[in-house]
Amino acid sequence: MNSETISRRSLVDRFFFDWHDAAALGAVRFYFGLGLAIYLNIQFDQNLKIDAFGAHFHFTRPIWYFSLLGIDTNVPWISFAVMALLTIACLLFALGKWTKPAIIAIIIGIFYMKGVRDSFSGDVHHREIPIFALLILFLFSKCDRMFGIDARKKKLPPIEPWESSWPLRAMQIYIALFYFWALVAKLRLSGLDWFTGGGRIQHVLISRAVRDGFTPTGEVVNLSLGWELAQMPNLVWFFGAMVFLFELFFPLILLVRDWRLKLIALIGATVFHLANYFLMNVQFFFYPFVFVTFFNMNLFHEWLMGKLRLRRSVAAVAT
Amino acid sequence: MDSKKSAKRFLALYFLIFFGAIFLRVDYFPFSWVPMYGYHVNGPAVTVAVGHLGQRERGFAAWRADDLGVPAANFRRLYHQRAFNQGPPQDDRERAALMPFNRWWYETLVGPDPRLDRRYADQLLVSVNQTFGYGPRDPRRIVRLEAELDFATFEHPDVAVGNLSRPTIERRTAIITEQGAFLRKGGTVTPMPRRFERDAIE
Repeated sequence: MNSETISRRSLVDRFFFDWHDAAALGAVRFYFGLGLAIYLNIQFDQNLKIDAFGAHFHFTRPIWYFSLLGIDTNVPWISFAVMALLTIACLLFALGKWTKPAIIAIIIGIFYMKGVRDSFSGDVHHREIPIFALLILFLFSKCDRMFGIDARKKKLPPIEPWESSWPLRAMQIYIALFYFWALVAKLRLSGLDWFTGGGRIQHVLISRAVRDGFTPTGEVVNLSLGWELAQMPNLVWFFGAMVFLFELFFPLILLVRDWRLKLIALIGATVFHLANYFLMNVQFFFYPFVFVTFFNMNLFHEWLMGKLRLRRSVAAVAT
Repeated sequence: MDSKKSAKRFLALYFLIFFGAIFLRVDYFPFSWVPMYGYHVNGPAVTVAVGHLGQRERGFAAWRADDLGVPAANFRRLYHQRAFNQGPPQDDRERAALMPFNRWWYETLVGPDPRLDRRYADQLLVSVNQTFGYGPRDPRRIVRLEAELDFATFEHPDVAVGNLSRPTIERRTAIITEQGAFLRKGGTVTPMPRRFERDAIE
């Protein structure tokens, strides 16, 4: 083995194994799990907005695995039961109790709820795709060995820092490249037409703004901010250019260690998702909870607990 | 994963699968090449459906949305798009601008291009009847659905300068029967096109 190969291998090792301390993975699991419970409730809320014991709608286009399993009808009350179990599984996962079975339960629950939601009309949404990829990494990691109920009660031995580091780095790669692949997809499908003039963004702004119609005074019923923006094509083009740059350069965050720089980049990404929601009703607005994977949440947790303890002791002194 | 070697093997397999799906343009959950809003074709005009919440709540000519047990967001898609024989976005983009290898595996393993044979409106009538348990020979079955909707067309020169004040508004009615789906525009009723040639859409 020549020195160049050794050097390349050590670079890979440094990238994946030498980034986080041992407690980071468990702490990320805790905060990710709490966020996931909220995120999934937002995503599947629409399945619960129908009569639990009402009509069993025959799907117009069952998602591929429903077709394979012969599921072609919605039984509404099942969604209510699955959502409750899914929320419980997320909390167990967060708390580190029966962690691995909880992950499997979450994955099955997501498949079911997403299948129902997307089979009514056949539109396949992408909002659970990164979640699945991250859950697979949690499943194959030792995320249950620290920072959880089972770890404490069963006195599980602590893990090595490298065992905590590689799953988190893999999650970060997946998240960062999700944006990059979205840019590649735009270019593969539409080329620079996507950005030309108002491009795709202006088209979506218009169609989303008018889809619930106009008020008697001529205002759009919903998404008035998007309607206003659609009338400023230069600004829309500028936002399009920002999207291009954001998606192109976001993977650079993988090389940043300083948490302040990462925070700035991730606040930018959060603004991107919130803007998409307020302007076009794109339902990724709570997705930024996945960014906890970029930080040492153990340090954050200690800092947060320290603040809470301080507040309690100040209150005790005051009384 | 008890060793770095096994962790690296796992990571190689993990990224091979997830990123391989991107190369192959797979968009079947849980894999995706992340196309979302990526498909866009510049045209001479932008035509969009102008919704009407009250009308949508009343539902199709015979049956209301809540009778069907369909969430509001899904019902909007059924009413605005499927009734007018427009498919979900993934059908429009799945085979668009495919390289030969990806076209080969799609057509070999998945099937023909969904853009070439569109029966979304027909499927809607089938779903409604099956929801109520009406078979194809049941005398109670629904034989006609109608959805009425305004469509606004903004000309490209207006869109380019942000002038959205003067669209051309056209009322269209989707009429879905067992004999096929039809579109009423102005005073004329024409069959909704189902079959398309690839040359016409690419």
